[in-house]
Amino acid sequence: MTEAAPQRLFRDEARTEAVQCPACGGPIALRGFGAIQRVVCPACGSLLRPEDSGALALIFRAARAHQPSVLPLHARGRLDGATWEIVGIAWRRILHPRWDWQEFLLYNPYRGYRYLTHSIQDGHWSLGQVIPGAPRVVDGERHAIEHRGRRYRHFSGADAHVTYAEGEFPWQVQVGDVAHIDDFVAPPRGISIEEVDGRDGVELTRTAMRHLDADEVWRAFERPDKPPRQKGVGMLAPNPWAEQSRPLWLSCLGLMIAWYFAVQYVAGRCSEREVFLATDLRFDSALAQEVTIGEPGAYTTVEVSFTAYPLDNSWAFAEVVLIPVDGEDAIGLGLEASSYHGFEDGESWFEGDRQVDRILGRVAGGRYLLQVTPERDTSSLDDPLGLGLSGFGPRSPDTYSLRLREDVWLTRYAALPVPVILGFPLLAWMLGRRRERKRWQNSDHAT
Amino acid sequence: MAARMERERQVSCPQCGAPAPFRGTAVSLVCEHCGSTVVRTGLDVRLLGKVSAIVDDGSPVLLGARGSFAGRGFEIVGRLQLRYARGAWSEWFLQFADGPGWLADFQGNFAVTRPGPALAAIPTYYNMAIGTWHEVHGASYMVVDKRAARYQGAEGCLPFAAEPGLTFFAVDLAGPDDGFVTLDYGVDPYHTRPDVFVGRAVELAELGLDRLRRFEGWRD
Repeated sequence: MTEAAPQRLFRDEARTEAVQCPACGGPIALRGFGAIQRVVCPACGSLLRPEDSGALALIFRAARAHQPSVLPLHARGRLDGATWEIVGIAWRRILHPRWDWQEFLLYNPYRGYRYLTHSIQDGHWSLGQVIPGAPRVVDGERHAIEHRGRRYRHFSGADAHVTYAEGEFPWQVQVGDVAHIDDFVAPPRGISIEEVDGRDGVELTRTAMRHLDADEVWRAFERPDKPPRQKGVGMLAPNPWAEQSRPLWLSCLGLMIAWYFAVQYVAGRCSEREVFLATDLRFDSALAQEVTIGEPGAYTTVEVSFTAYPLDNSWAFAEVVLIPVDGEDAIGLGLEASSYHGFEDGESWFEGDRQVDRILGRVAGGRYLLQVTPERDTSSLDDPLGLGLSGFGPRSPDTYSLRLREDVWLTRYAALPVPVILGFPLLAWMLGRRRERKRWQNSDHAT
Repeated sequence: MAARMERERQVSCPQCGAPAPFRGTAVSLVCEHCGSTVVRTGLDVRLLGKVSAIVDDGSPVLLGARGSFAGRGFEIVGRLQLRYARGAWSEWFLQFADGPGWLADFQGNFAVTRPGPALAAIPTYYNMAIGTWHEVHGASYMVVDKRAARYQGAEGCLPFAAEPGLTFFAVDLAGPDDGFVTLDYGVDPYHTRPDVFVGRAVELAELGLDRLRRFEGWRD
């Protein structure tokens, strides 16, 4: 006895062991170094308990077949800057709606345990670590918790059953074990709270998780071929659209401000010089007059404005043609001013444009012959009773006005980039929302 | 002071006669040579018998290692190993220059705590419910674990006489972040004045321990 005590202080190198399963005789590699509570024989599934002496005591004899998991027992991989070994594998299942996942217990004697989880249904992965802190419940209409300044929304809560196990576990695992799990998410991170009924009441285990890409896991464990395909949007899968939305909106705001000032600046520099103005023109004759637009050799914009008077349930039309004196390409456009109104079904209505403004983009500077051929609504003039004059019914226009201004600001160009500027964040926002909807379809809070 | 140190060094194990190097305010010591528990009461030293039966809990921590926490150096001078429903864990007794502290060590999760001022009114062990929040020195903590743990074994020095058959009652509370509080009810779960230990969860690496246990096939 005197000699026993000092030798059991465990200061020497801890060694791995290879033992035989007391149930099936199959080989069991013990690589968990001491803290192990249960060993499940990979071959036959018998449940074993390591005694203080190091021997394995049989708790429950089983004869199930070994089933391959996505990653094999005792595989090593590098994650979070450290090497980890898979010392235990547990398959777990939620019954309604059915959801299966494989949990790989990762171990590093200097860093403790991590939980690598692979969902069977959607192929997504996450890495979990037990956290010492206690997340605080956030008051609100929807269940949420807060941890280290990050808010996690409740995703789902269900009872999970252990359906298969192999390897070593620092807790008393057993096939058939049930634990209630509540998942809270703030993609790509999450917090899982697991309630286990213990002898001293409920035990709460809090695990912080983060999304892992399948390729990342495959690389970490140097697996051949390809990982199982990831489908849909995993519970913790990042949402690049949502992550981009803030910087996108900010840059959009910046662009809008920049564009606004640019427009102000350019519009302020427009001379808007009047080239031609004539009012009270009669409809009975065409107009022809020479005008000078802009500087020869340069281009400018020209605004043509047309209106007629009176416009009372009638229309007026002007065909405006600008024929270059020294050039070939004439510019022609038709302008129609109209005004209609009435009273129907207890509501008054109005439609039409009393004044029409049209802007011509690139007009070469130089001398032009302005030709205007006006037309008007003559329906009331044909009225032999002349009722139009009495204030009722349509009134045909008597005169029209025409104005030409050069070097005007093209408002349609000013507005042109707005949908483009707004388009990117809007698109990102919509795609982000779509992705979130897909993610939350699998939650308890599907809409 | 020098005379006192001299006397400390002269204490020897009543069982085997090997030196029993008591440290600071340590009350009991497990003889490294024969495994006997030696208890110091004043100048008197008595034997509790051979009681230490530490089991391998896979801890990488070693007695005698030095490290630092919150900028203060410490030495690991003792270990109390306890066992409860979820397995065995160790409480390493730390000697800082300015007093004692503990390093809780459970399945790769570590927390350093140091004695804090007593609390006015705390429910008894049995009235502390998991998931409830309590004020400790102005901050809120939630009860995350409570356990009645059986003495498993010890090594080195401890600030109390640890004996086999004792059951220790303790409640762990965690703050919203890494804050960690242990309420130590000792062996009596019915009183309302538990010893308060306040600290935080740590990663082993940040303690900078100068030696760690070696594990076959692993480098730290």
